Amino acid sequence: MPEKTGALRATDQAAAEVLGARRPLDLGQGGPIAASAGSATVGAPVALGLPGIGVPLAPAFDAHHPPDAALVGDCVHCGFCLPTCPTYVLWGEEMDSPRGRIDIMKQGLDGDPLTPDAVRHLDQCLGCMACVTACPSGVQYDKLIEATNAQLERRVERPRAERLMRTAIYSLFPYPRRLAALRGPLRAYQASGLGGVLARTGLLQRLPAGLQAMEALAPRLGPVETLAERTPAQGTRRRTVGLLTGCVQGTFFPDVNAATVRVLAAEGCEVVAPKRQTCCGALSAHGGREAEAVAFAKQVIRTFEDAGVQTVVVNAAGCGSNMKEDAHQLRDEPGWAQRAAALADKVRDITEVLDELGPVAVRHPLALRVAYQDACHLAHAQGVRDQPRRLLREVPGVELAQLIEAEICCGSAGTYNLLNPEPARELGERKARAVLATGADVMVTANPGCWMQVASTLARMGERMPVAHTVQVLDASIRGLPVTQLLAAALDGPGTVMPRPTSALRP
Amino acid sequence: MLTDATTVVRPTSVDEVSQVLRAAHRDGRTVLAAGGRTKLDWAPPASVDVLIDTTGLDRIVEHTAGDLVAIAEAGVRLTSLQDQLASAGQWLALDPPEQGATLGGIVSANASGPRRLRFGTVRDLLIGVTVVLADGTVAHAGGKVVKNVAGYDLGKLYTGAHGTLGVVVSTTWRLHPVAPARRVVVLDLPDALAAGPLAVAIARSTLTPTAVELHATTGGNGSLVVVFEAIEASVHAQADAAVTLLGGGRQLDELPALFGERPGSTEDLILRLAFAPASLTAVLAALPDGTEVTASACTGVLYAALPASSAAALDALRAAIAPYDGSAVVLNAPAGLSLDHWGPVGDSLELMRRVKDRFDPERRLAPGRFVGGI
Amino acid sequence: MSTAVLAARLREAIGAERVLTDRAQLRTYECDGLANFRVTPGVVVLAESREHVVDAVRLCAEAGVPFVARGSGTGLSGGALPVSDGVVIVLSRLRSLGPVDADNLRVVVEPGVINLWVTRDAAPHDLAYAPDPSSQQVCSIGGNVAENAGGAHCLKYGFTVNHVMGAEVVLPDGSVVHLGGTAPEHPGYDLLGAFIGSEGTLGIATSLTLRLVRVPETVQTMLVGFTSVEDAAATVSDVIAAGILPAAIEMMDALAIEAAEAAVRCGYPAGAVAVLVIELDGPQVEVAAQFAEVEGIALAQHAFEIRIAQDAAERALMWKGRKSAFAAVGRISPAYFVQDGVIPRTRLPEVLAEITRMSDAVGLRVANVFHAGDGNLHPLVLFDDAVEGQAHDAEELAGSILELCISSGGSITGEHGVGMEKRLKMAKQFTPSDLDTMQLVRCAFDPDGIANPGKVFPTPRLCGERPGPKTGVHAVQAAGLGEVF
Repeated sequence: MPEKTGALRATDQAAAEVLGARRPLDLGQGGPIAASAGSATVGAPVALGLPGIGVPLAPAFDAHHPPDAALVGDCVHCGFCLPTCPTYVLWGEEMDSPRGRIDIMKQGLDGDPLTPDAVRHLDQCLGCMACVTACPSGVQYDKLIEATNAQLERRVERPRAERLMRTAIYSLFPYPRRLAALRGPLRAYQASGLGGVLARTGLLQRLPAGLQAMEALAPRLGPVETLAERTPAQGTRRRTVGLLTGCVQGTFFPDVNAATVRVLAAEGCEVVAPKRQTCCGALSAHGGREAEAVAFAKQVIRTFEDAGVQTVVVNAAGCGSNMKEDAHQLRDEPGWAQRAAALADKVRDITEVLDELGPVAVRHPLALRVAYQDACHLAHAQGVRDQPRRLLREVPGVELAQLIEAEICCGSAGTYNLLNPEPARELGERKARAVLATGADVMVTANPGCWMQVASTLARMGERMPVAHTVQVLDASIRGLPVTQLLAAALDGPGTVMPRPTSALRP
Repeated sequence: MLTDATTVVRPTSVDEVSQVLRAAHRDGRTVLAAGGRTKLDWAPPASVDVLIDTTGLDRIVEHTAGDLVAIAEAGVRLTSLQDQLASAGQWLALDPPEQGATLGGIVSANASGPRRLRFGTVRDLLIGVTVVLADGTVAHAGGKVVKNVAGYDLGKLYTGAHGTLGVVVSTTWRLHPVAPARRVVVLDLPDALAAGPLAVAIARSTLTPTAVELHATTGGNGSLVVVFEAIEASVHAQADAAVTLLGGGRQLDELPALFGERPGSTEDLILRLAFAPASLTAVLAALPDGTEVTASACTGVLYAALPASSAAALDALRAAIAPYDGSAVVLNAPAGLSLDHWGPVGDSLELMRRVKDRFDPERRLAPGRFVGGI
Repeated sequence: MSTAVLAARLREAIGAERVLTDRAQLRTYECDGLANFRVTPGVVVLAESREHVVDAVRLCAEAGVPFVARGSGTGLSGGALPVSDGVVIVLSRLRSLGPVDADNLRVVVEPGVINLWVTRDAAPHDLAYAPDPSSQQVCSIGGNVAENAGGAHCLKYGFTVNHVMGAEVVLPDGSVVHLGGTAPEHPGYDLLGAFIGSEGTLGIATSLTLRLVRVPETVQTMLVGFTSVEDAAATVSDVIAAGILPAAIEMMDALAIEAAEAAVRCGYPAGAVAVLVIELDGPQVEVAAQFAEVEGIALAQHAFEIRIAQDAAERALMWKGRKSAFAAVGRISPAYFVQDGVIPRTRLPEVLAEITRMSDAVGLRVANVFHAGDGNLHPLVLFDDAVEGQAHDAEELAGSILELCISSGGSITGEHGVGMEKRLKMAKQFTPSDLDTMQLVRCAFDPDGIANPGKVFPTPRLCGERPGPKTGVHAVQAAGLGEVF
């Protein structure tokens, strides 16, 4: 990868500083971090999850892919997006709604500079795409915010602490090997109980909010099951599929990948899991880091072109959504765009594939009440809502509970919970309460981000609830595992969150 | 109220009403309008110079059956209108107890009856109104379509204003089809207080009665009358279901005698109580034992006839029902009894005065008849 | 007083973080659901309590600065359009709801509560809030009250005014009054009835007591396809003439169907020139009998397809097509005007024919989506704002349609309100005396005219004036504050 040069090595140091937290108190002095929650019903308006920038950005956009004025013009200002927008739900203010953000983009296109406040409101968008689902006029907000994010990421001069944070995130998460390298120290940290000690001493609370969030999110690590590069189909081969092993998924949730392979094989798929996969670029694209995203996208295209598979299976919603949109990401390079489109045609979420194929493996009963949580990048970005529910219902004994505010994002949103920890925390609590209200035995989701977000929130609230990926439930059913085993793994197994005695984040 | 000095005029057109009011405006004379004179005793003004008898405004202007809309002048008696509408299988869904009342009087007094449970009151059915103001100005509000939000809905303001803002001269109504069948369930209650929970149970059920009336004596017995008016199959099914819900009751095809009538005579202190609908039991308990009452049990409206001697306890009664957002308005006071007909109005009285001041700054329309001496 | 001074006072009173003056932030409040009119306010206040509203209004009154209340900003007549340099008081954060008083069939809500939330919270008690504007998933109760919002089911259940029992109102001088309550009636003028639908010109409601209705025993919905609009209209008339009062009868024409299909894939009958969505609710036996009767009527009027919703999901999809229709038109046209006229139901066929003639004459497409049972038309005039002059033609056509409604005995608005958009049309529907009489109410509530000025009424008028025939120079004109146009 050409980008991996000295600049990144310098940031590796920053990443290590941040994650190793060797000098934590040196960081995070960049600006005020106001509490987001003002009252029980409504958060205070200045939810400064991140410090503002100092001067207006003028002109608002440069010539390289500004938000498309025609797409902006599609908005008829009906407001149907408002109640599905997480930040509008939190703060009830127009600037933090899709309609308001489109207004801000329009102002920029009309020649107004972007004020620091305007940048903040754009930054506060989670990119959950619930508004895209809700919009009757078909406004492509996803394209608009992505273009805007790329402009902001490139052109806004951010305070040092935030810069470091961003650099750390983007030099770590997309790199499975760096994540893997982190597993050792993290396991030691978790085993030592240091987290609890830090929480009790109050030291943890003196960390910058972003770091606190990262610390709290880190899931419990277990042994890694090595995935075979090629797993044969059981019985008659119905399809040859490739598996995107992902970065966070592969590192923190290896069980999910293992379950995915087992279920696919049981359903008659030969599974190819190419070694040395890179990140698909979803996190970078989401964060507006265009060059990085483009490079990752090309790498993934090459990998799966070489794999010779009919279908590329993805079990992390954010990655699937990104890979389906790679042609847009690569639109400036027609050759690549074509290759991206060809790959996009093959990309399926694991639940899409299984639903398409139809079950051949016997489902053993699991007496479970399941709260299925729609991952935004599955439900809103990919329109995959029915398939996972159908698959879960096919398991005898599984009962699906209805979540209130199902369309509202849990606050994870890629790296949002690291960059905007305050609103993310509020949204996480909202979602956790909704999940708890179902009285379900287990929460099931399709994205590692949602998993970590809700699980860590539950832990912070002092609640214990098993969390699993859809495919883990199917795996348990096909293998005929007892419910207790599934639930135990989902409560204390790899990927779950360390219980916390106190609410470490709330002073 | 009406004295030898009162001049009675009987205009036959809106223009004539306007002329009368212009003349009164010019001469500084006080004016009261009356139609069927069924409610002249309700909080009468001390005296008025001119009584406008509206019964000369007696035209049914329009009835468009396909639109379920009728326009009639204020002096038309409700019964006359109903007769005409009946030929098209329709009716104006108002059934106030005062016999012979005109439309203008019904609007001005916001008169209602048992079927308000299903169809609402004047404010829910009056879609257009023409009023002559104190200075003779003729003003319309609303229109002749049911759905209409253009401008302020002044029909609501004139409804129940007892003629203190203007003289209602024409009314436009939303109509309903007459139901083809009726079935009535009557349940005798040894203890009238039992009506409260039963009324709540009915209100929260899927039954769609047009009226639920309680006739009772406080501290004694009563009977609950549940009326179903719909298609044949429905009224029978619902009456059966009502008997099950109430745990008894006999079914009739016709309304029982006294249905919808108010208790009491001119010798009595007759009150109209309104309160949060589910507090019927508490309101019954707040009334002195032996009070004859008729209540629209699911809506929170109750008429009570008390002996004249109870007048002194009126404030106490008002205080007792206040926790249920209750009010008690005097409909009839025995001659010679001086009391506050309306009771407390709350923090909006000043605003009401301001409205009155704008419409009738010289206080010539029904002076002193309304709340707070308006 | 300058905006900056007022903003400083507002910050001091209710907290700096709730007072917006950044231009980019202000501009996101420059229009509501009617984007044709845009005005940048001077200050936006994000109220979180009744006290904030009281303080904001009081400070506006002291400064003589106009204020405009705003909820979700979904209004379609520009009712929440800011006044230049004025204050917008945002109520979306006043969201407390309930608890549901199931026995009294009441619930108390703050104005920022979203319409659909009320029914959501009432549902466990088998209760519902009846008014259901098409934007019910986003519009706020405060806005519903300001506009006296309707919806598909007001044919049977009535409008917002029939379902709001009480209100706490901050008057334009900052004082607070309580109108109505839990009981069905109260002594005194029905000021609540006058307040509802006054479009923010009489004050700001900070709490509302709503009436809930029992969820009916059964609901049956059918989707009926016709090959002509006339047949569909005749079906509506025949159903009403048969003495049936459906919960709703909604009509959409071919263009509206096309838009809805594009937006939500609602599966309306292919080839339909008009569809009716007819819903009956009530006791099982009654609905079953009347549903069969309606089917017979539709078939007699040449319906080519009748689809009956088999479950809640199918019913929801039928409604989704209808309720998304306005915004969905954005998919088939670059721009459009939504109109909201009312005609007597019996005039439906002739008025629709006339609208077709008018639309052909101008050469602009008109999609029709409407509450047929109420005669409440929502013609959507489609145009391309990139084409020189089309916006103007479209506005003219929309205006002509409203005048057609008036001349047919109807109204210029059935549920969207007059707002900014139709205030000049008021003079065509009402006489000067009618309008002056409405001003009497306005002046009683808001003598200084600072509550949402410039809306609803065609001309500004000072409260010192008496109604009646006007001669000589208008006081506003004499004072140099305005001119006659």
